[in-house]
Amino acid sequence: MMAVALARLVGDGETVFVGVNSPLPLVAATLARRLHAPDATLITIAGGVNATPARLSAATTAAGLAEGSASIFDNADFYDFVARGGIDLAFLGAAQVDAAGHLNTSVIGPHERPTVRFPGGGGAAFILPLAGRTVVWRASHSRRVFVERVDFVTASGRLDRVVTPLCVFRMDGGRLEVESVHPSSTAGEVARETGFPVHTSGVPSTAPPSEAELTALREVDPDGVRAAEFSGQRPASR
Amino acid sequence: MRAASFGIPFQPVPGLTGSDVPATSGFARIKDPYSDQWLYAVPAIRPDWAVVHVPAADARGNARVLGTPFWDRVITRAARRVIVVAEEIVPSAELARQPELTAIPELFVEAVVHLPGGARPTSCYPLYGVDEAAVWRYLELSRTPDGLACYLAETAALDHAASGGPA
Repeated sequence: MMAVALARLVGDGETVFVGVNSPLPLVAATLARRLHAPDATLITIAGGVNATPARLSAATTAAGLAEGSASIFDNADFYDFVARGGIDLAFLGAAQVDAAGHLNTSVIGPHERPTVRFPGGGGAAFILPLAGRTVVWRASHSRRVFVERVDFVTASGRLDRVVTPLCVFRMDGGRLEVESVHPSSTAGEVARETGFPVHTSGVPSTAPPSEAELTALREVDPDGVRAAEFSGQRPASR
Repeated sequence: MRAASFGIPFQPVPGLTGSDVPATSGFARIKDPYSDQWLYAVPAIRPDWAVVHVPAADARGNARVLGTPFWDRVITRAARRVIVVAEEIVPSAELARQPELTAIPELFVEAVVHLPGGARPTSCYPLYGVDEAAVWRYLELSRTPDGLACYLAETAALDHAASGGPA
């Protein structure tokens, strides 16, 4: 459901970026190009432009993911491109997301004495204000992740939507609001697992994946890379 | 590091607005002297050493990078000294046949190490990909000091077996 929900957010003709450690967006953007967005341009941190690797991999920095690309677009190229406004849609991850759409990929707890320090999110701080819009995804949905106020604002800017295993959030009037609840969840569960108040009355259900979407998903991701981010689940095979 | 590679003290950077990163990192804001645009002045990082792993190099340090160079070009220009670790040592004449693939010229390189498989369990394109099973195993075992020791011992045994050295 998450891969399909993310894919639906890719517009045809958009220039889309997928970064490090991003198996779900990699699958989603590849799926979108197969389905409704054949003219989207996919740039990955692996250095490809519309690459056609034989196999997707959960390690989204793998240089092999650039195979089939007619050019190499390396990391310095990419950051320059972001700075001059070339990216329409970026996918970014986050450890915490707050009601105002701030992302935290830096620390949990006080910055000087954190309980957890993450590898860093410098790219996000740069990308979020500069990309046309950003979609965040997170493979778990709990009050630890979705908080009223993040411990540290790593990045702030043009957040558009957040996709979780339970729902899709959309930025609306400067706050995250529930846009749709996945068929596998309920409005009550979303409210219970979200650490800020959400309005769930009258919120529609996310359209379940269609047969066409499921078929294309199995074709672009036969190894189940999309499962890599869910705890305890590994891609089924190589 | 792009500032360091350019020999200047900072890199003007757009974005970063609304983030706590500039304040906690001590990045100063500067105004473009030609317009009203505000930017952050991110201080240069000039590493003492850069270590890069490549598929092929010659004995003088000319190093070929195939596929995506990621940050190899930038970090080898930013660092004071560079160590090249190569899967294969090849004659200079072979690199000279396609000099445009030599991302790192010998003049930056302090030392060349011949270490096949040296990037495992990560990748060295196009010779081998990420060993995802090994990375998963590392993630599991490294949760405890004993587990980490176990992982390191296993990995050392595999390396020694592969190189024909002591087990």
